[in-house]
Amino acid sequence: MAAVEKPVGSAGSPAAIFLKVTAWFGFLFLLMPSFIVVPMSFGNQYEMVFPPDSFSTYLYEQFFFQSNWMDATFLSFRVAISSTILALVLGVPAAYSIVRGTYPGKRYVAMFLMSPILVPIIVIALGLYLYFASLGIVGTEIGLIFAHTMFTTPFVIVTSMAGLRHVDQSLETAATIMGAGVMQTFFKVTLPLLKPAMFAGALFAFLMSFDEVVIAYFIADTGRMTLPVKMFNSIQWEISPVLAAVSALLTVLSLFVCVLAASFQKKS
Amino acid sequence: MAMVRLDKLSKNYGDVVALAEVDLEVEEGEFMTLLGPSGSGKTTMLNLIAGMIAPTSGQIFIDGRDVSTVPPNKRGLGMVFQNYALMPHMTIFENIAFPLRVRKTANDVVKREVGRVLDLIQLPHVADRKPRELSGGQQQRIALARAIVYNPSIILMDEPLGALDKKLRETMQLELKRIHTELGITMLYVTHDQEEALTMSDRIILLSDGQIEQMGEPDHLYFNPNGLFSADFLGDSNMLDATVESGGETTSVKTAEGLALIAKASAISEPGRSVKVMVRPENVSIRRSEESFDNAMQGKVIDSIILGGVVKHYIDIGRGTAEEQAMVVEELNRPGRTSIRPGVEVTLGWNASDMHVLPLEGRLPDA
Repeated sequence: MAAVEKPVGSAGSPAAIFLKVTAWFGFLFLLMPSFIVVPMSFGNQYEMVFPPDSFSTYLYEQFFFQSNWMDATFLSFRVAISSTILALVLGVPAAYSIVRGTYPGKRYVAMFLMSPILVPIIVIALGLYLYFASLGIVGTEIGLIFAHTMFTTPFVIVTSMAGLRHVDQSLETAATIMGAGVMQTFFKVTLPLLKPAMFAGALFAFLMSFDEVVIAYFIADTGRMTLPVKMFNSIQWEISPVLAAVSALLTVLSLFVCVLAASFQKKS
Repeated sequence: MAMVRLDKLSKNYGDVVALAEVDLEVEEGEFMTLLGPSGSGKTTMLNLIAGMIAPTSGQIFIDGRDVSTVPPNKRGLGMVFQNYALMPHMTIFENIAFPLRVRKTANDVVKREVGRVLDLIQLPHVADRKPRELSGGQQQRIALARAIVYNPSIILMDEPLGALDKKLRETMQLELKRIHTELGITMLYVTHDQEEALTMSDRIILLSDGQIEQMGEPDHLYFNPNGLFSADFLGDSNMLDATVESGGETTSVKTAEGLALIAKASAISEPGRSVKVMVRPENVSIRRSEESFDNAMQGKVIDSIILGGVVKHYIDIGRGTAEEQAMVVEELNRPGRTSIRPGVEVTLGWNASDMHVLPLEGRLPDA
């Protein structure tokens, strides 16, 4: 890519400096709440204070070794990974059908598949709770996975649809004329070209599920809580300073995933 | 035997007729070109043969087999696209190997065949590269290699040189022609570029409004246009409004301006009939001294332009000075050619055998 050149004499003008300063303030404003927990997580072991008056890794030891926080963490990972895989399996073919299909009512199908984004999440949570209760899977891990799959699939569909629109259809036509069947064309041509979009969608879905609290709060039970639900509970009942350590770790994880997604998109 | 046969093939989109009851036979080993302006139905015809769209009525036979309802991947065709359509995620080797892999060809055969076609297109060293590392011309040669490698019964080409610049296009035309001669594959080529069609084709099918306007060898189409559309689309032409005076060995006509001219014998030479008479610019001469022609006409030079090897003179023959009203004369450019300045009165001359009588509408009956 060509470097963007600035016109002569525009870099140091007062307007340009003002613009830069405002941009940095906006940036800090958005990031501050996430980063404020980092110093706190290395602080006092009895209560949360800012700025911290001492330094220790006590809260991290608590999180990793001396509590049931890790159970919640592992559950969150299992749920997020499983629901991401399910969302891909459901979402990518759905996106393919919406973008490449030529059947009547396509737009309504698309709208229906997107509906979980449009409905308030508390409504979805309540609906899922009542429905899963009748199926007897409230409070189970599989229930959580299904609920989060439903929640994340629309996002995978959106990213896959955008990706598919960038896959040149004449490549699929060419493959077909050369003798490839529908399945061969899909797996050898479409899917490899869709990989970047799928990867971005998967990372997004993973984060959505990992951070999700409302649905998980309804579906989980006391013995089986995801990390955000446990955090929510601990705020309500304990105000344990371990929360600061968990928050710091979650921030780092989100950052890592975002950087990964960005670098992958840049590469492709 | 005909490699491709179309039997009363039609395609309608609602009320719009994209292709109207076309009959056609492409012989084995033939280089056939579908030529026409955009919207003439040439791409529709190609897509029908490829199976990308279904005909409204009629039948398509490939290699003697009725394929009208056979899906595209079972028709055994090769196709080359204008945008190359190479798979960006595969190496050149894998791109060319793709149709073989789809056919579950053994690995050593794949290797041998890909090597063979890479040699044929004279790009043996690019196997490990990705398509985006090659130039447009190279990519199109790879696309051609990919269409050749599995020996399809016919290769369809949809304006394959459209995205290349003029110089490269001319090189590729000769290259395509060479490969065609070397392999004897049947090729069906779609273009709107008449020069391209004339350069490469064994036969040209001229399409307009979903119908075959004229069909034949390039020379035949050029020298015997069967209507205004053919005359106008292939090559340059000077048209004059005229009325037939008498027919026979030659046709005598009188132009709208009252000038008597003699044209070739014609099937539409009933006296009194309104027609157009046409003569190619290269058959008209600016008469000097003793030369004598069957036809002569006075005019005044508007402008002369040099196109390198040829010179074009625009002559006002009393119809106006706009480019489309002028009579165009084309002559070879030579050193020492007497230049003709604008405003000079000249006499134009041409022979009866170079002047065609064309109907105002429709086509001449088939000869």
